[in-house]
Amino acid sequence: MAGIAGLSGCLEGGGGGDSEYPALGNYPIEGDTATLGFNVPQTGPYQEEGADELRAYELAVEHLNNGGGWADLWSDLSGDGVNGYQIDYVTGDTATDADTARESASRMVERDGVIMFAGGSSSATAIAQQELAQQEKVVYMCCLTHSNDTTGGDCVRYGVREMFNAYMTGQALAPIVTAEYGDGLEFYQLYADYTWGQTVETSIREFFGAAGWSEVDSVPTPLGTDDYSTFLSGAVDSGADVLFLNHYGLDGSNSVSQAVDQGVNEEMEIVVPLYNVPMAAGAGGSIEGVFGTDGWDANLENEPTRLFADAFVERYGTVPSSPARLAYSGTMLYAAAVERAGTFYPPEVIRELEGYEWDNGGLGEEVLRACDHQAMRDILVVRGLSAAEQDPTAGRYWEVVEQASYPDQVGYGCDSGPAAACELGAYGDE
Amino acid sequence: MGVAGVSLLATGIGFLIQTLAVASIYILVAIGLSITLGTLKFVNFAHAAVYLAGIYIGLAVALELPFSGDIGRGIGLGEVGLGLGFLAALAVIPIISFGLGLLMERFIARPFYDRPDTDQILVTFGVLLIVQEVIRGLVGGRSMTFTRPEWAQGAIGLGPLGTFARWRLAIIAITAVLVVVVYLYIEYTDVGLAVRAGTEDAEMVNLLGVRVTRPFLLIFGVGSGLAGAAGVVSGPVFSVVPEVGIGVLVPAFLVVVVGGVGSLVGSVVGGLLIGAVEVGLQMGAPTWASVGIYALAAVVIMLRPAGLFGVVEVDE
Repeated sequence: MAGIAGLSGCLEGGGGGDSEYPALGNYPIEGDTATLGFNVPQTGPYQEEGADELRAYELAVEHLNNGGGWADLWSDLSGDGVNGYQIDYVTGDTATDADTARESASRMVERDGVIMFAGGSSSATAIAQQELAQQEKVVYMCCLTHSNDTTGGDCVRYGVREMFNAYMTGQALAPIVTAEYGDGLEFYQLYADYTWGQTVETSIREFFGAAGWSEVDSVPTPLGTDDYSTFLSGAVDSGADVLFLNHYGLDGSNSVSQAVDQGVNEEMEIVVPLYNVPMAAGAGGSIEGVFGTDGWDANLENEPTRLFADAFVERYGTVPSSPARLAYSGTMLYAAAVERAGTFYPPEVIRELEGYEWDNGGLGEEVLRACDHQAMRDILVVRGLSAAEQDPTAGRYWEVVEQASYPDQVGYGCDSGPAAACELGAYGDE
Repeated sequence: MGVAGVSLLATGIGFLIQTLAVASIYILVAIGLSITLGTLKFVNFAHAAVYLAGIYIGLAVALELPFSGDIGRGIGLGEVGLGLGFLAALAVIPIISFGLGLLMERFIARPFYDRPDTDQILVTFGVLLIVQEVIRGLVGGRSMTFTRPEWAQGAIGLGPLGTFARWRLAIIAITAVLVVVVYLYIEYTDVGLAVRAGTEDAEMVNLLGVRVTRPFLLIFGVGSGLAGAAGVVSGPVFSVVPEVGIGVLVPAFLVVVVGGVGSLVGSVVGGLLIGAVEVGLQMGAPTWASVGIYALAAVVIMLRPAGLFGVVEVDE
């Protein structure tokens, strides 16, 4: 079988779809161009993250076709297309809505014949898209999705995720935040009322509860809420010591800046479990002293970070956010897996991704687990800077308090945490 | 009054302030919508475009606005703005929006006065989308916020009533002043008289030899000025992105439906009711908060098709 696989790779290289593998999903590719689909929120509460992701996807395609960035760094990549094919792409707007995301992805799969599609924020859109991926046997590279369910109860064989999850955020945050603010405190949670917010809420309760804190109350807020003032008043009235704002994107910018404007930070400590740069930029000086986690920082001093961040700045004139890095990295991981497999045949590409270990993505050592398709990797615990200390041109809005490392500080076994609920589906070639 | 009574009273007043804070923006936007619908029988969804333009022009007056959208970068606009600060924007934008309203009446509304509601909705919603996308192309989708003067930042404690953002209280005061001024204008000036008469029966007013075109034009501009003002005062509270126009349109339109077309008092009462339902549900049943305002509008339409203070039914 390995011999056949190798032969098929040779035959496939250079285009034409002359393959020993059977047709599956959108394989074989017709012509000499492989099309990727980038399905991101261009409207809705997570549109800023989506816009940054799209920039990074376009940069990734440019590097894959013409060299530059990680295409020059990763030995699997040639910088002259992927496995003999030039890379083209189509884009879609998920509108930060699961149904719209699924429809848009479906168009990419059926009309545009994409061999891989990628994107997501939110987690609801990512989960909807990876269900479609499994059904259509087209690989989906999850981008910004932090819900435990993505690689937990809703995991699929055809979706993989480099992004960490709410469970790991809880693991990383609890020791640092409880050490900073003290023992035995009471906390209150406001959370976005969908899969992501719900799993963050559960994980915060689990890990801060285990650290000796107790929850006073936990209140859902609809995704896309503009005005959090009433919810914030309720939090202050509760008398709790700490407020977790489990909101993201525009919602996160609004809730944290309204909290500070309303004086909530004078009554209680605020924690924003999941941060990113566009959100911090929207909230400005309101994030001063506020703890949170993020996946990556453009100011990290390592070669992959510098290569990507510098290329991004040169191309777009702005510093990339962590969602942008995820988008870029996901595309590169897929392309490298295709090169190693010697084919775009989805089951072979997935097998190359499963268990893959790498240390040249700017975050140290990472492994994409075969059991649940979740990357085990480091997480940054960060703390917001004051408006005066922030430097928007350098994308510097916080200090990195700690790079919580896997496996010492974050991570879990295949039979525990969210992974315990994961049953990956079929490869499609069984 | 016992301790429990004081506490209940404090909760009630706190709820009222919260409701006023939420309702203020809706009311400011709804007044223009309601007046245009009442006087000119014109369904003007592009009203939200004035709100949107008010915010972004206000940002350009107040700050150096980065033109980082695809079009903005393409033509190399860089950062453009007067940098005059927030108060300058607050003073200038209602006047600019008044002018935008006059232009909109002349070039968008007037050609469609005699067309069916559906045509009016399509064209005005289209204008809103065009304005939104042009702004996105020029400035980009990244959220922005107004920097306020120090006195307008932070919170103020009102004892047992709770702690409120200073600027939210300022919005309530600004809204109250603007509503009173417009109310006096409509009730006690010749223009207002013509508008009120024209709202009741435009044909009869014309037959009596009063030209209602000019008063209607003025009142269109006044409504637009309020929408622009709403844009600037809400800018520091909510992150500014190109979709905020569409975001405010739906609740403002529901305020008109509940309060009744063509009635300023109706817009105020409708806004307060919508605000109260939203705040009440956020306190008691948060998952229903976004649905509750639609339920309120549905109930009001069933019981009073013209709205609570409506002069005419929308499709009359």
